[in-house]
Amino acid sequence: MSHKFSRRKFLRNSLLGTGAMTLGFPALNVSAQEAKIRCGVVTSLSGANRFGGNLTRRGYDLWAEEINKLGGIEIAGTRYPVEMFYGDAQSQPASGADAAERLIIQDEVDVLFGPYTSGVTLAVQPISQKYRVPMISGSAESPNVWLAKPAFNFGMIPAVDLTTDKSMVVLADTLGDRAKTASVIGVDEPFSKETAEGFRKGVEESGLDLLSYELFPAESDLSAIVSKLKSTNPDIVAVGGHESVFINFVNTAKALNYKPKALIMHYGVTSAAFINETGSESNGILGVSVWTAGLPYKDDLFGTASDYSDLSFSRWGTRPDYTEAACSASGLVLQDAARRLGKAPPWNQDTRAQLAKAIEDTDIETFYGPVGFAKEGSHYHNNTKPVPVVIQIKNGDVVPVAPENASKGELTYPIPGAS
Amino acid sequence: MASKPVQTPKFIVRALLIGAIVIALAVLPAFIDSYTLRIATGALMWAGLACAWNIVGGYAGYISFGHSAFFGIGAYTTAILMQSDFGASFFVTLLPAIILSIAVAVVIGGPTMRLRGAYFAIATWAFAEMLMQLVTVLDFTGGTAGLSLPAYLNEFFFYYTMLIAAAASFVGVWLLIEHSRFGFRIKALRDDEPAAESLGIRTNLVKVQSFALSAAITALFGSIYAYWTTYIDPHSVMGPQITDQMVVMVLLGGLGTIWGPALGGVLLWITNRYIWSTFGDTVIYLPILGVIIALVVLFLPNGLISLLVGRQRGKELISNILRKF
Amino acid sequence: MDLFLQTLVNGILIGGILICLTIGFQLTFGVLHVIDFAVGGWAMLGGYTAYWLVTLAGIDPFISIFLVFALFLLIGRGLGPLIYRVRTSRYARPDLMALAFTFGLFLFMRGGALWLWSYNSRSVESVLSGQFLSLGPVTIPLMRLSAFLMAMLFSLGLFILLYRSRFGMAVRALAQNRDHAGLMGVDVKRVSAWVYGIYTGLTASAGVLIATIYSVNPTVGIRYTLFAFFVAVLAGLGSVGGVLIAGLALGLLEAYVATYIGARYSLLIVFGTLYLALLVAPKGVLGRGI
Repeated sequence: MSHKFSRRKFLRNSLLGTGAMTLGFPALNVSAQEAKIRCGVVTSLSGANRFGGNLTRRGYDLWAEEINKLGGIEIAGTRYPVEMFYGDAQSQPASGADAAERLIIQDEVDVLFGPYTSGVTLAVQPISQKYRVPMISGSAESPNVWLAKPAFNFGMIPAVDLTTDKSMVVLADTLGDRAKTASVIGVDEPFSKETAEGFRKGVEESGLDLLSYELFPAESDLSAIVSKLKSTNPDIVAVGGHESVFINFVNTAKALNYKPKALIMHYGVTSAAFINETGSESNGILGVSVWTAGLPYKDDLFGTASDYSDLSFSRWGTRPDYTEAACSASGLVLQDAARRLGKAPPWNQDTRAQLAKAIEDTDIETFYGPVGFAKEGSHYHNNTKPVPVVIQIKNGDVVPVAPENASKGELTYPIPGAS
Repeated sequence: MASKPVQTPKFIVRALLIGAIVIALAVLPAFIDSYTLRIATGALMWAGLACAWNIVGGYAGYISFGHSAFFGIGAYTTAILMQSDFGASFFVTLLPAIILSIAVAVVIGGPTMRLRGAYFAIATWAFAEMLMQLVTVLDFTGGTAGLSLPAYLNEFFFYYTMLIAAAASFVGVWLLIEHSRFGFRIKALRDDEPAAESLGIRTNLVKVQSFALSAAITALFGSIYAYWTTYIDPHSVMGPQITDQMVVMVLLGGLGTIWGPALGGVLLWITNRYIWSTFGDTVIYLPILGVIIALVVLFLPNGLISLLVGRQRGKELISNILRKF
Repeated sequence: MDLFLQTLVNGILIGGILICLTIGFQLTFGVLHVIDFAVGGWAMLGGYTAYWLVTLAGIDPFISIFLVFALFLLIGRGLGPLIYRVRTSRYARPDLMALAFTFGLFLFMRGGALWLWSYNSRSVESVLSGQFLSLGPVTIPLMRLSAFLMAMLFSLGLFILLYRSRFGMAVRALAQNRDHAGLMGVDVKRVSAWVYGIYTGLTASAGVLIATIYSVNPTVGIRYTLFAFFVAVLAGLGSVGGVLIAGLALGLLEAYVATYIGARYSLLIVFGTLYLALLVAPKGVLGRGI
C-alpha cells in the first residue's frame, strides 16, 4: 500500500479524530469555580411537551434575572449571583435523566429546577437523590410523582387530584340547581388522565349525574367525541388535557355546531396561547388555576401577584399562567432556604442534604401564595397549600368566579350561544 | 482483496485490534466521569440494538419498523416483574422477557414475513403502534402513567451489563451468521428467495428464526434499559423513535456488516448527545442531525464502515445485498 | 340514528383528510419507488406557510393554498434530482437509502420548524373556520367538507394528468419501467423531478387544509407520516385509485369505533385492523400500481 495521502485516509482519520474529540471533550470541560449559586434546569425544550417546558423555563429565568438585579441570593450578609444551566429533556424520561446527570456532574450545579412533565420528573428523581441535589419542581402535577416519597424533590403545585375534584365541587355548588348532569373527557396520557379522573371524582362527590366518562388517544380526531357530547348535551363538560387538545376541541366543537353550556378545562386555559389561538371562542370557558394575577398575595422580590404579572408581561410579551408563577416562586423557596441554611456556595453533598432539609421546612408567603411542603402522606413534599380557584375567560381576561371568597366576577352560565 | 500469503497476518492484526477494543472498553470507566459513562452506556446499548436490527434488516433483508415493540416487551416484562407484587430480582426477569419476545416474534413473524419490502416495513410499524396502544389502555402495565422500577444507581453495573450484553450480541451474530450454515441460509434467502427455496432451504423457518433472534436481543436491551432509567412509559419504550434510531444507525454504519451497526450506533449516539449537550438550550441539534444523515446518504451510501474496511471491500459486501425491497 | 348518520359523515370527512394527505405520496411511490418519510414534514411546512400568509398578509387559506402548491411544486422540483440520484445510485439498497435520506430531510424540517417558530400550536383561520351546514340532524363542518372536495379534486386532477396528457403518459411509462421509458425517449430525470414536485405541492396543500381544520405545530409531522404510510399500504402502494377506498375505510372505521366502542380504543383497533388487513391482502385493496 502506498503512503500517499488519499481522500479515504483523510476521511478515515478525520472520522476517528471526531470520535476521539467527542469522547474526550466532556472530560476536559472543567471550569473554574466562582462564588456563584449554580442552578440547573431540566425541562422539555423540545418534543411533545415543549410548550409547557418553555413556560417553565420562562418562570425560572424570570426569577434568576430579578434576583441577579439585586446582586444575587443573600446568604449571611453576602449576595451570591445565580447562574442558570439548561438541560433539554426532549420530553423523554431518559433524556431528562441524561440531562440531570450532565448538569450535576459537568456543570456542578448546586440545585435543580424540575421538569415540566411528571414522567421526566420520575426519571430524574433517583438521580437527584443519588447525588443529593435538591430539586424544586415548579410544574409536575401528577400525584404519582410524590408516591415514592422523594427525599430531594419538592413540588410547588398541588397535585391534580387535589385541585380538579375540589374545583368541580365548587363549580357545582355555585351553579346549584342550574346544573344536573356532567360529562368528563380526557386525553389518555399521564397528566391529562389524572385530571379527568379528578373531575370525575368531583362530579360524583357533588351529586351531579355523570353522563359519560371517556378517554381518547393523544392527537386523535375529536369529531366523534364532540358528536357524542352533542347528542347527550350535558350541563357541564370537563376536559382533561393540554392546551393543544383544548384548541382542537374548541375548534372541532364550533365546526360541528356544538357549544356546551359550561366547559371546564384545567391546564393551559389561562395561558396566553390558548386565548390567542381560540380568539372569541375562548369566551366563557372555565378553568382551574391555583394562581391568578388577581389574588391578594405578595412578597419582597416580585411584589404583588399583579406586579408579577406585569413584570412577566413586559419581559416575555404574554401574561403568565400558574406554571410560570410557580416556577418563579421555586426560586423564592431556594432563596429562603439558602438564607436559613446560611452557608456560602459551592455546596457539597452534606450541605446540599441540609439544604433539602431547609427546603422541607419552608413556610413562606410569596406572590404565588403560601408555600409549605407536606412531610408525610401520599403527597409527600408536595406544596398542598394553594387553593384552586375556578376562573372564567371573559373577553380575553382571566376572571376568578368561584369559590365565593376569591371571586372577582359573576359566573356566566350558560355560555352565551350554548346548544 | 489481499492474496493468500497475507491472510494470516491480517487475521492476527484484526484479532489484536479487537482485543485492544475489548480491553479499552473494559477499563474505560476508570477514566471518565459518571455522566460520560452514562453516555458510553447508552452508546453500547444502541450498538447492541443496531446489531439486533441488522439481523433482520441487513442479513435477512426485511426492513422492520416494528422493533420498538420488542424493546417495549423487554422493558415492560422487567418492569412488571420487578414491581412489589412479584418482587423479582433483575436477572430473573431477563429470561421471561426473552422468552416472551421470542414467542411474539414467532407468532407474528410467520404471517408477517410473507409480506415483502415496504409492506413488511409498514405492517411491522402498524403492529408496534397497536402494541403501544394496547399497553396504554391496559391496567397492569400502568397505562399511560407508566411504571417506576426500584432504583439501582450503580453506573458501573449498568455499563458492564450493557457491555456484556452488547459483546454477547456481536459474538453471537458473528458466530451464527458469519460462521455457520444458518448464516448461509439467511444470506441465500436475502439474495434470492425462490432459489434458496429450490435448494431445499426452509425459507419460512429461517425467516422466523432470524426474526426471533433479532427480537430476543432487542428485548434483552429493553430489559436492561428499563432497570437503568428506572421509569418507563408506553411512549418512551415503544414509541417509533426507538425503531427510527435503530434503522438510521444501521444504515449509517453499513447494512449487513458485522461492525457497521456498532460503528453507526456508537457514533450516532455520541454525536447525538454531544450536539444535544453543546446546544443544550436550543433545539438546533435536530436539523444538524438531519443534515448529517442526508449527507452521509448522498456521499457515503455504503455506510461509514466502508471508510474503515476499504471502499472496494465495502462495495463488494453491500452490493451483494438483495434488491427486493 | 342521528348519531349514526353524524358518525357516517364524520368518518367520510376524516377519510377525505386522509386521502388528501396520501394521494401525492402514492404518486411518488408509484413512479419513483421512494417511500418518503418526509411526507408529514411537507404537510407541516404547508400548514406553516398558510399560517404565516394569513397572519402576516391576511391571505385566506383558500387563496394561499394555490400559492403553497406553486411554492412547494418548485421546492420539490428543485429537490427532485437529489432524490432521484439517491434512488437510482448504483449502490445496493437505493430504496432504503432514499428512505434514510428522506428521514434526514424530515428531521431537518421538524428541527428547523421547531427552531424557527418555536413550540406552540398555531390555528390557521379561514373564512370557513367554524362554519357548518345543517342537513336535518346532521352537521357538516365546511372546512372538512372542503378538504373532502379537495381530495376528490386532487384525485380527479391526477387521473386527468396521468391518463389524458403526454406528461402523464411519460409518467406512466416511467412507473412501469424506468429503463424502457428512458429508451423510448422520456427524459427520466426531468419527469421524476416534476413528479416529486407535484407530490410535495399536493402534500403541502393538504397540509394547509389540515392545519386549518386542526392546528399546526412543528411535531405533528410524524403522525401524518404514519397515517400516510398506512393509507398507502392499505390502498396498495402506488395505487392512486385504492387511496380513495382505503382512506374512506380507515376514516369510517375510526369514527365508528370512537363513537360506539370508545375513543380510547380507536387507534388500537385502527392499527390492529390495518395489520390484519395487510396479512389477508398483502398487496392492498386494489393491489396494483399506477
